[in-house]
Amino acid sequence: MIYLIRYDRKAGKVVTLKRFHSSDRACAQRERLTIELEFHKSGVPCEVVLLEAADDQTLERMHQRYFKSPRELVESLA
Amino acid sequence: MPKKLTISQLNKIGERLRKGSESEEDLRLLDEFRLSFGPAYQQTFDVLNALGLKTGGREGKTTESIRAKLVREGTRLSKMQDIAGCRVEVDHLIQQDLVVSDLKARWPQARIYDRRVTPSSGYRAVHLVVEVDGHLVEIQVRTSLQHIWASTTEKLSDVLDSQIKYGGGPEILRKHLQVFSDAIAEFESIEKEYSEVLGQISEPEGGRLQQISAKLDAQKLRLKSLCEKLIMTVQ
Repeated sequence: MIYLIRYDRKAGKVVTLKRFHSSDRACAQRERLTIELEFHKSGVPCEVVLLEAADDQTLERMHQRYFKSPRELVESLA
Repeated sequence: MPKKLTISQLNKIGERLRKGSESEEDLRLLDEFRLSFGPAYQQTFDVLNALGLKTGGREGKTTESIRAKLVREGTRLSKMQDIAGCRVEVDHLIQQDLVVSDLKARWPQARIYDRRVTPSSGYRAVHLVVEVDGHLVEIQVRTSLQHIWASTTEKLSDVLDSQIKYGGGPEILRKHLQVFSDAIAEFESIEKEYSEVLGQISEPEGGRLQQISAKLDAQKLRLKSLCEKLIMTVQ
């Protein structure tokens, strides 16, 4: 599964998340670029990334920085 | 690399990104460059999945991360080794060694960066840079504890100060993260010793195992206490 994610770094939050089947990779790539160019035009900083994982649970585990708060992450260290 | 883009052109795009003066065309060309890693990335991701590993992937570093790296390291865009990357999480050090060994067998020419031996601002993991069809793909192999530490540091860098993960930012936080990283290293080392002793003895060798087990419990308590301190600092 491919995930197109728009992430607000300063707020530490996922703004949007869209799922694509692996066979729709090219579509996800095009959409990523379109979003990036739109934000570039408006002058608003934007981080938009394509991530891949077997399923939602693996995504959230492997890329937990996007999904957990600092407190949740620190607590899981103990 | 895309056919129409030369190394010199690519590095010029990198220069403009570094200065924050990139055009829309630059972003389109950067995306072409990023996508040129796609087949190599997919092949690597598929190999890791086929090995049954818990894997995450990111086929192209984000523009903001590329920009930050260009600014921070003064490197050239054409020389970046981690445009495409995969990440593997394993339970503990012994499994980490086994996985790295398997990957080395799969990609004998891989460059290995063992950041357990030489941590980078507290970051510990093993990175392999493999070459697939002329493109480099970075594979990060992390234990669960290394992964949580790294994710915590990345998150704090996002929301508090981008320099935290490079050893900068507020001193108190930096110290806590460093102490935490050292404590995790110690815990993992004791855990490894315990597993090795357990594997070596043919009959229960109570004394030695109990000793290591007590060390492990003590280190668990220490991690818990450090965690509480870190939560207070973050708040």
